[in-house]
Amino acid sequence: MKLNTVVSDEYVFLHKKRLKGKRIAKDVVYYVCGIVLSLLFLFPLIYMLAASTKSESAYVSDAGSMAMFLPDFAHLGTMFDNYGKVFTDYGIWRYALNSFLYAAIVIVLNVLINGLAGYVMAKLRFPGKRLLSFLIIFLIVVPVETSIIPLYEIVSELLGLSGVMTVAGVILPAAISIFNIFLFIQFFEGIPKEYEEAARIDGASTIGIFFKIILPLSKPIIATVAVFCFIGVWNDYIWPMMILPYPEPGEWPLYPIQNAINTIQNIPGVTTGEKMASLIVTSIPIFIVYVAAQKYIVQGFGSAGLKM
Amino acid sequence: MLTTTIIILAVFVAAFAAFVVWDLVKAKKHRERFRVKSTATAYLMLLPAVVLAFLFILLPILYSLGYAFTDYYSLTPDDINFIGFDNFADAFKEIGNKGMLYHAIINTLIFVVGVVPLQIGLALGLALFVNRKKRGVKIFKVCFFAPVVISLSVTAFLWLEILSPAETGLLNSLLGIFGIKSHDWLRDPSTAMLCIIILSAWQGCGYQMLIFLSGLTNIRSELYEAASLDGAGVWSKFIHVTLPGLRSTLVFVIITVFIGACRVMIQPMIMVGYQEHVVTLSYYMYQQGYSFRWVGYSSSIALLMTIVIGTITLVQRRLLRGK
Amino acid sequence: MNKLVKALAAVTLGSIVVCGAAACNKDTGNVDKEGNTIVKILVHVDENTPEGQAYKKRVDAFNTSYRDRKIKASISFKARSSGAGGYEDTITQKFKKGTLDDIIAFDSPNCAAYANSKILYDSTDLVDAATKADFYESSLNVYENKLYGLPIQESSAGFYYNKRIFNEAGIDVSGYTVENPWTFEQFNSVCQQLKDAGKKPLSMQLDNIKDETATYLLYPFVYAAGGSFNDSTGYTAKGYFDSEASKKGYEFLYNLVQKGYTDSTIKDSDFFAGNAGMLLSSGWTIPDIEIKYQANLGNDWGILPYPKGATTASAMGSWSFGITNNGVKDKSAAKELLLWMTSPESSKIITDATGMIPARKSVTTNYEAGSPRDVLMKQLASSGKARPATPAYPTFTASFCNVAYAIADKNTKLADLNSKIATAADSVQAEMDRIKNRH
Repeated sequence: MKLNTVVSDEYVFLHKKRLKGKRIAKDVVYYVCGIVLSLLFLFPLIYMLAASTKSESAYVSDAGSMAMFLPDFAHLGTMFDNYGKVFTDYGIWRYALNSFLYAAIVIVLNVLINGLAGYVMAKLRFPGKRLLSFLIIFLIVVPVETSIIPLYEIVSELLGLSGVMTVAGVILPAAISIFNIFLFIQFFEGIPKEYEEAARIDGASTIGIFFKIILPLSKPIIATVAVFCFIGVWNDYIWPMMILPYPEPGEWPLYPIQNAINTIQNIPGVTTGEKMASLIVTSIPIFIVYVAAQKYIVQGFGSAGLKM
Repeated sequence: MLTTTIIILAVFVAAFAAFVVWDLVKAKKHRERFRVKSTATAYLMLLPAVVLAFLFILLPILYSLGYAFTDYYSLTPDDINFIGFDNFADAFKEIGNKGMLYHAIINTLIFVVGVVPLQIGLALGLALFVNRKKRGVKIFKVCFFAPVVISLSVTAFLWLEILSPAETGLLNSLLGIFGIKSHDWLRDPSTAMLCIIILSAWQGCGYQMLIFLSGLTNIRSELYEAASLDGAGVWSKFIHVTLPGLRSTLVFVIITVFIGACRVMIQPMIMVGYQEHVVTLSYYMYQQGYSFRWVGYSSSIALLMTIVIGTITLVQRRLLRGK
Repeated sequence: MNKLVKALAAVTLGSIVVCGAAACNKDTGNVDKEGNTIVKILVHVDENTPEGQAYKKRVDAFNTSYRDRKIKASISFKARSSGAGGYEDTITQKFKKGTLDDIIAFDSPNCAAYANSKILYDSTDLVDAATKADFYESSLNVYENKLYGLPIQESSAGFYYNKRIFNEAGIDVSGYTVENPWTFEQFNSVCQQLKDAGKKPLSMQLDNIKDETATYLLYPFVYAAGGSFNDSTGYTAKGYFDSEASKKGYEFLYNLVQKGYTDSTIKDSDFFAGNAGMLLSSGWTIPDIEIKYQANLGNDWGILPYPKGATTASAMGSWSFGITNNGVKDKSAAKELLLWMTSPESSKIITDATGMIPARKSVTTNYEAGSPRDVLMKQLASSGKARPATPAYPTFTASFCNVAYAIADKNTKLADLNSKIATAADSVQAEMDRIKNRH
């Protein structure tokens, strides 16, 4: 537009309207694409949700048609029966409680132990540091699949854990994570040293600085670590299955939730709907945790810099 | 077990001590000093992590390494004998005979080459898509991340239903609308790995999307404005502002996705079984160790895998950091 | 003040440790404080299942009955899951630690490997001839002519068929019984009639060739064709797995797929929905149909036996109890528990809970003649043939599944199938050699 052209108000009005129209069109395209993409990512969950409301015969007859994505509206009264069964007959809430408890302990230990280590590696100078740096990179690369049998031997033989103490065998290995140490290191390196220097001038000890200055500044990375710890503990079942003892009758079972899910999957006579209901129940807490912490996770990764 | 552990511990303490001495000597040369109090604090703060890492990460790996040179058969755990490199010789013989291990290597290679660009490309695309201040973008972010939340085994089961060979299988019925004949996707060697690649990328890209999002927030918006002033179009801005800005994030994502891809196991295991056209390295290793009971041989495959993955990772790091 | 607190803490900690250690050493050896010999039994199911409850009831009954004889049984449950951390790992790790239970439940195909690795105890002399005779011969867990366990229960499989569909297609199978089974040709003819009538003839669960189920359902065809899988020592597969007679068995299955009677698109759910003529499945499916699929099948179904080739053979095998080599020298208490848990009475109670077939011939059942359960039981007695006894069993089943997978693929040519059979036989042979040479 030429600057020295006199333009009528009407022209400006129409032009703005056209721009707005273009914008609305662009928005519509954007949202439609978004919805299509979201459906692509969501459809298995929708399928699971729908299946969880059906009885076995309804599930089998709906299979293969578009009806498999629709909840069982024909039997509105019994739609949530499978969920009821999962909670009462299979007593899933006890295992869920276990998982929450384990997750809470693991998160606290994880943040403290790996955070302390990350802080030391990021901020302190001491002899022998280079060996540890090398070990950290080395240990991230190694596959852990075959380590399960030696790990079992270590926990049961070397440490001699048995009975209720095997819970320690589940929690302690989960409390250490080289990857999380790595994340903490990256994040802490980004904290300007002025904060620490100011605190030192005020006479704070190193540990004091960690707890009073660094941790409060680290909410994003702590949220990230916490969320992924939670997901890890929640989904883990092979290791707890190996290590935890079978409960005596009347005793509170020690198993976390995923083991209960697996047991449910294998009970003779369990219907597909019940299986799906149990899977949905396990997925919900993770979803909630993720949605709540989403902002922090992005911040956490962002501030970490992630320099490999 | 206790004696071996103590020996390993002694070796590590010795190695650490050696490094400490080396650092002290170097410091002396440079006329620097390590303060005793801060060093002691550092060691104390590191102690819990070091103890746990030693017990639960390092020790199992070293044991696994040790087992690689034995004939450990899980039903006779008291009868473990050192057999030198026999396991490795067996492994190479199996590759030479085009046995399962050979197929495992090929399939893993195909998977990695397919999934790494696909998953990263999807993640980057999705990240760019949601990196706006529009309303509702948050919902999209949750939707794209949804598959990550579901555990891999559940995802595999679901996709098994979708890829079912019957005409009523989801994919087949959808394609049937367009007149395409139904197909046994997982049985056909030419489509099986492709399906596994696609569903794996689908499942994981939400996670990398988050990482890319955080990387994008670190790119200063002034750079985009400057590019606009220079007359750059959307594509040009992407190449010249976004990609360079995401540099370190990309390196991280490529390396981590690569390492994860090398370890693919659950999908072929749950969806197809121990068959030539889908068996992967981790699956082969698992089957040999847990089903066929050859823990020693399985550990040797793990060792070989580690060496190869580790080397490739180091090379990648060097190349990608290069400039 | 500080020192006092520290001292107190030390003492408390110390006493906790000491008490803990003492608690762990409550019972040295396997005799408890009251002089009872403790016998431990490990089972492979979750306690909260009907089967688990049945085991628990029997152990409680044992304890009541043997109170005077000062023997006390204690039961542990370790629900099996395949692979890592599973039931077998529990056994081997306990074996290593020296804390293996006196009696373990084990899947019968694993007998050879466990016996070979000395996990199981040679119980040949502990069980008398009369007891042995009460079991089906191929059911006894025998390896290298020694007895290593007794079956808890038995199993069988057969061809479930939809009577409504058969009537619509005008097919009469009333003449095919266990005593007078249909032949391979007659079987093919029935399938053809179903196909001509426009029905899905048969599901052999070929969509699910991932685990032991496929081997279990299909292996009898090789025996029925006059073939076999290995020699009696369990160390030679070449010449057996791929013998000409065995190949006839594989080819029979191959032709079923080639002629369009079955393939991987016809699933068990098709039968349950009432859309397929027949389903090859194990006895587990009877309670499934009765509980879950009443709506679609009602009572309009029955079971036909495995068809006869050169001979008759049907699937069998389930879990067994065996005494272990856990270091306890005196096996008399373990023997009592073993015989108790596999007695006719236990057999009845356990199979009532699980729906499987009693392993002991003397257990009376009141199945209606010609009913599905009756057919399976008669078939087991007349043609049950156990899966191959070899320490290389896991490799055998994986290799058999490779062949089955090729069979299930319509596009496999006969030459491909034969080469797959040869490769499978080589794999099994290689594994057998490997195990043999280890010792």
